[in-house]
Amino acid sequence: MSILSLHNISKRYGAIQALSGVSFEVPPGSVFGILGPNGSGKTTLLGIVTDVLKADEGTYSLFDAPPAGRLRRQIGTLLETPNFYHYLTACQNLQVAAAIKQKPEQDISRVLEIAGLTARQHSRFKTYSLGMKQRLAIASALLGDPGVLILDEPTNGLDPAGIAEVRELVLRLAETGKTIILASHLLDEVEKVCSHVAILQKGKLLLSGPVNEVLAREDYVELSGPDNTVLEAVLARHPAFSHILSRNGHLQVVFSQPVDLAALNAYCAEQGVWLNHLHIRKQSLEKAFLQLTNN
Amino acid sequence: MLQIIRIEWLKVKSYRTFWILLLLAVAIIPAANYIGAEINSEIRDKAKDLIPLSTYDFPLIWQTMASVNSYMTALFGFPLLILVTNEFTYKTHRQNVIDGWERREFVLAKLFWWLALGVLALLISMLFAVILGLAYGTHAFSLEDSRYMFYYFLQVEVSLAIALLIAMLVRRAGLAIVLYLAYTMMIEQVLVVTIKRYVGEVGGLLPLQAGDELLPFPIVGKLMSSANRFDDGVYLLMLLVYIALMIFLVFRRMLKTDY
Repeated sequence: MSILSLHNISKRYGAIQALSGVSFEVPPGSVFGILGPNGSGKTTLLGIVTDVLKADEGTYSLFDAPPAGRLRRQIGTLLETPNFYHYLTACQNLQVAAAIKQKPEQDISRVLEIAGLTARQHSRFKTYSLGMKQRLAIASALLGDPGVLILDEPTNGLDPAGIAEVRELVLRLAETGKTIILASHLLDEVEKVCSHVAILQKGKLLLSGPVNEVLAREDYVELSGPDNTVLEAVLARHPAFSHILSRNGHLQVVFSQPVDLAALNAYCAEQGVWLNHLHIRKQSLEKAFLQLTNN
Repeated sequence: MLQIIRIEWLKVKSYRTFWILLLLAVAIIPAANYIGAEINSEIRDKAKDLIPLSTYDFPLIWQTMASVNSYMTALFGFPLLILVTNEFTYKTHRQNVIDGWERREFVLAKLFWWLALGVLALLISMLFAVILGLAYGTHAFSLEDSRYMFYYFLQVEVSLAIALLIAMLVRRAGLAIVLYLAYTMMIEQVLVVTIKRYVGEVGGLLPLQAGDELLPFPIVGKLMSSANRFDDGVYLLMLLVYIALMIFLVFRRMLKTDY
């Protein structure tokens, strides 16, 4: 079964081709990142699968069935901006959402608690700050504890503490086995949880699949000595040396095959260079992503 | 459908602007007819022997009140305009669909208000017709000629359908209200007069005018009506056609467009 399956989705706004022939599948239990620069078509894509936008071409299915409102009720969605009735309180707004989703009203206090809005639940939405509005939207998406979440830039408008909280929340939800479809900016933050990605650029799907296949991320070794110019010359003679990633501060060196750090340390010492820094690192998802989209 | 109505109730129950606009539309019915009945009773007292049946006597009161109320049908459009354009302003129409409504259900929710406001106008009108008829009339209660109330109901539904269509097409509250006011207060009247003058009675078939043609003021209206006017059935049919057409356009728009 796949949670969401897209077949050849295209969408045009006048002269702008927002999406062209996008197809991919979101497997159950995955944390699926939809990544791409601003204007790459992420929100358009999520708008289509939530039926607020109509695709010009192509089809999609939810839970292997033709899309329908009753299937959307099983998905908690936060799309772009929080949309609520300004004249209703947070609690009243969630009553409307719960009624449409056909979820019990008793769940409202739970999601308000998660979003940290319990104290302000009886204030009107229009009196909320941007961050509180975003929190309410997250609370609404969590109503009824859905097994699938679609989160489009969920940290928008939040302060640093709020961003950290949402980051933790996403991690926690992912651990409970929920399927999470997540649109970008959070790329850096969800690096640890993203199991799958689809990468969009100018409306086209560049790649999609398990994150480690799509974004081949090189391990590199970060090291320093008293004189990095000498160190670089020494490393260049190492049989597994491939290339230098960066010379800012520490040297970041990629080897063509895995190297043992102890052996590397010994090698340098033998060559007369005593290291004062040695660390193995994985290239960040963001860097790999930028390399991919720049090509 | 009950579920949809419950959700619509949750949306409006603490929305003050809606209730004020609704109160205005409802209150003007007893207010205007109370004044009418007072004036009428003075005339009747002075000319007791000349007029055997006055306009606020049963059964004439049905037509009188339907005719008086027909000048104020547009007022019921305002609460509907606000409810619909609010959804677009706050983008909650999108959220409703995201949360699990079919687009069709969003349209049905607004059609509920379209029908409910019309029924409310009808019930309030009938209630006060009975009250004023018993208070000011000298004849016994009778339902004869109460069909005029049905014509009035249809005219309210046409006004509401115009409001609904404008709101769904324009989406912005301010512009929708201006367009609705312009159409109901001015544009159609100008068209009716112009068409009647240069083309003929067909000018009487425009949406709101078709209702007006069915609701002449008793006694006076007959004296002023044109000899060439169509049969009542034609106006009635036109009202139903306009309602069907506008609801069709609302569905077509909302099922296909991007939200």
